[in-house]
Amino acid sequence: MRSTARSIVVALVLAVAAGCAAPPFKSGPPAPTAPSPSGRGPTLPTVPPPGSTTEPVIEAPAPAQLPRERPKVAPATLSPASKALVSQAQAQRKRGDLPGATVSLERALRIEPRNPLLWVEMGRLRMDQRNYPQAEAMGRKALSMAIGDSRTQSQAWQLVADALRARGRNVEAQEALERSQELAVN
Amino acid sequence: MQRGIGLLAVLGLVLAIVVVAILGRRVTQQFEGRRWTLPARVYAQPLELYAGQQLSSTRFAEELARLGYIAQSPVDRPGTYRRRGDTVDVHVRAFAFPDERQPAQRLKVSFDEETVTTLAGDGGADVPVFRLDPLLIGSIFPIHGEDRIVVSPDQVPPLLPEALKAVEDRKFESHHGVNPLAILRAFFVNVRAGQVEQGGSTLTQQLVKSYFLDSRRTLRRKVEEAIMAFILESRFEKADIMNAYINEIYLGQDGRRAVHGFGLASQFYFGKPLSELNLQEIALMVAIVRGPSYYDPRRQPERALDRRNLVLKVLAEQGVVTTAEAERATKTKLGITDNAGRTANYFPAFLDLVRRQLREDYPENELTEAGLTVFTTLDPLLQEKAETALSAELERQDESGSKRAKNLEGSLVVTTPQTGEIVAVVGGRRAAFDGFNRALDMKRPIGSLAKPLVYLAALESGRYTPGSTVVDEPIELKLDNGELWKPGNYDMKVHGPVTLVRALTQSYNLATVNLGLEIGLGPVTRTYVELGLDDAPPRFPSVLLGAAQLNPVEVAQMYNTLANGGYRSPLRAVRAVVDAEGKPLKAPELEVTQAASAEAIYTLDRLLIEVFERGTARPAKRSLPEGLVVAGKTGTSNDYRDSWFAGFSGGHLIVVWMGHDDNAPTGLTGTTGALQAWTRLMATIGTSSFEPLLPEDVEDRWIDYYTGLETSPYCTRSAVSLPFAVGQPIPPSPTCPPGTTREEGALMLLSGFETDSADTTEPPARP
Repeated sequence: MRSTARSIVVALVLAVAAGCAAPPFKSGPPAPTAPSPSGRGPTLPTVPPPGSTTEPVIEAPAPAQLPRERPKVAPATLSPASKALVSQAQAQRKRGDLPGATVSLERALRIEPRNPLLWVEMGRLRMDQRNYPQAEAMGRKALSMAIGDSRTQSQAWQLVADALRARGRNVEAQEALERSQELAVN
Repeated sequence: MQRGIGLLAVLGLVLAIVVVAILGRRVTQQFEGRRWTLPARVYAQPLELYAGQQLSSTRFAEELARLGYIAQSPVDRPGTYRRRGDTVDVHVRAFAFPDERQPAQRLKVSFDEETVTTLAGDGGADVPVFRLDPLLIGSIFPIHGEDRIVVSPDQVPPLLPEALKAVEDRKFESHHGVNPLAILRAFFVNVRAGQVEQGGSTLTQQLVKSYFLDSRRTLRRKVEEAIMAFILESRFEKADIMNAYINEIYLGQDGRRAVHGFGLASQFYFGKPLSELNLQEIALMVAIVRGPSYYDPRRQPERALDRRNLVLKVLAEQGVVTTAEAERATKTKLGITDNAGRTANYFPAFLDLVRRQLREDYPENELTEAGLTVFTTLDPLLQEKAETALSAELERQDESGSKRAKNLEGSLVVTTPQTGEIVAVVGGRRAAFDGFNRALDMKRPIGSLAKPLVYLAALESGRYTPGSTVVDEPIELKLDNGELWKPGNYDMKVHGPVTLVRALTQSYNLATVNLGLEIGLGPVTRTYVELGLDDAPPRFPSVLLGAAQLNPVEVAQMYNTLANGGYRSPLRAVRAVVDAEGKPLKAPELEVTQAASAEAIYTLDRLLIEVFERGTARPAKRSLPEGLVVAGKTGTSNDYRDSWFAGFSGGHLIVVWMGHDDNAPTGLTGTTGALQAWTRLMATIGTSSFEPLLPEDVEDRWIDYYTGLETSPYCTRSAVSLPFAVGQPIPPSPTCPPGTTREEGALMLLSGFETDSADTTEPPARP
């Protein structure tokens, strides 16, 4: 009996456990409802394409590796308040009012501090300010908040790539760009 | 002879001309220069309103009242509102934010219990997000203590200059700076009384007197003042002089701070802008002019009321207001804002922090004179809750019966980790007292708050997992100074080989010292800098147990990085600074720098959650809202001198220190002291759970808390789910192997096969 138990893959243990006794951090973030491409912010469709992105992609299991359950999550979206602030910030950026854009984006971040799209926006603003190290850092922070969300990760990698290229780190930039493109197809 | 007199006359004339010229220059410089010496005004963060926000209509009405908004119907001018059930109508004041000037406007806010449902502008248009005008929390005034808010003539209610003239200087519009008749009258009154009882000074003379901060009533001063008043009148318009008077005159004292001008006095006494004052409030201010200390409405309410009513009578007699208006106003109360003897909305510890952060970018005189506006991160509501939580806990300790825990002091810092903002600072148990700021000026050993840094260094080395074994065995170290260091555990026991998770959550000293020495003091002390300190602590072994002395803000800086996924953000108290023309100036920016590997931080954070599940903070769990996930660490320094707790939710980090100023033992651990105040606050601020996302190359595994072996939750009570690198080999538990199903586990338990029971009687946790 014990040997059968032991042979069950860890993923199964986790799956069972998640349903019964897992601490709250096990559950993913609540599925948001509307997609949002970076850099375009508020000019977005408000209705998600139903079911198009929430299905986990099932591929042939890799040999010799434990199958990992990393559920895909729906792309992050902005709340109406953040959406309004992001579009305000974009207008401010367009007319060169970078301090104003900073104020608007920080307001949005205070409302949704864990929305990766806002960190990507903030990173884009840092690009405008020619603060490339911070642009990259904000892209990476967005990545850590968008695990399982390939669309947002793709945008964040794009930002990281731009920030790296701006500093002449072309090889790393190329890698980041490739990751961005890979994720965009997913 | 005659020539001599003539010469004398010429000499006298020349002398007089010189004196007049000198005095004229002095007073003119003052008059003109004064317009430019404005202390920086400091604002709290504005309340943001948006659909879906957690806010009840009751709380919203309280916030409006704090901002000096008046509940009235109709809502017909800025600074008024009306609440009807779950809808609040506000006429929001105009305000110049750093990015834009927001005009005065109507706003309708609808609520559904604890949530904002809609915001509607004039004409019902949907408003996605809206800022209220922020709370003015003070100004940065120069050493001599003068503070003021300068108002322009259009911000002054027309009644104020009329009332001033009627009461203080009826001939203001016609005299040339001096009113000889009034002086004569005063002279006779004073001679008869044998002392100075009545002043015959015009408003212009009072203004001149105020400029030179000299209250000596010598004849020479009087003459000089009269000359200068005359000169002012000859060079400037009456309207300019009245405006200067309104901004200059002394109207009260608040500790070291001298309240000058009606703009600040209006905030100081009534908590709202000057333009919104009504008749009785203006009358009170005019009453105070005559003697801000004698007629202090907070200390001498009856005297102040009598004089206010006298002013109202004079205003009616002079025809400034009607008798009916004056009578109605006479029946009202003083209406002074005052929370139990403290100045409302005065947060000295936070202002102190703001001042220090600004000094890095601005010279002192620019702050006190250049008319800057400073937008800060202070959350007034949270600040108030923080003050209450700390003082309530300190009072509970007073009454606990323990002598050593009586009259404790405390300090508290709250940040929002993702944006790196300091939203509340309490510098002592009397929070409104502008004295020793413990949040910044008190450095104390951090005790076990240091342990997570040791474990972070261990996890970052890649040689340790949460299930790794460390030895909790006695250790003796010969220090550089020749002394022998023999640390011990809090429970005086030795626990032998223990898991990393257990050693941290139970705060075992010996295990931590052994672990720290294995990693090396270099990597451990470097962690302090990675997490945000300016300097690494000295490399003494005692640093492993928290010998480093830090202030609460420094602790908050380090723990903020733990709460922010390993991203270090220099903590900010200032969001923006604008100059007198509204142009943005230099201010600290939001920065994020990855300080440690995402995997190591994530793992450490999960261990800090276990502190609440199984460790030293477990007692707090029942006082927190159901299901709220938090993480943190207790800290107790040697001989119970300092009681610390540092911990965070998804939205807030709170650091609490409790102890005695003279460093006497408190008898408290981190658990029995600081954690209690921490919990009081965390439970009441409507915060969100701490839910970090599992990094890409990490997965959750069940291990046994005591042995570190991989296990299943269905056949042991000591199974704990913790993160490991994907594919990390973990030896399986022989008694409760991984993968045991619920059914199999139930069978095993039925057959009396209880596992891992050897060590389930956990000794009391060491804070």
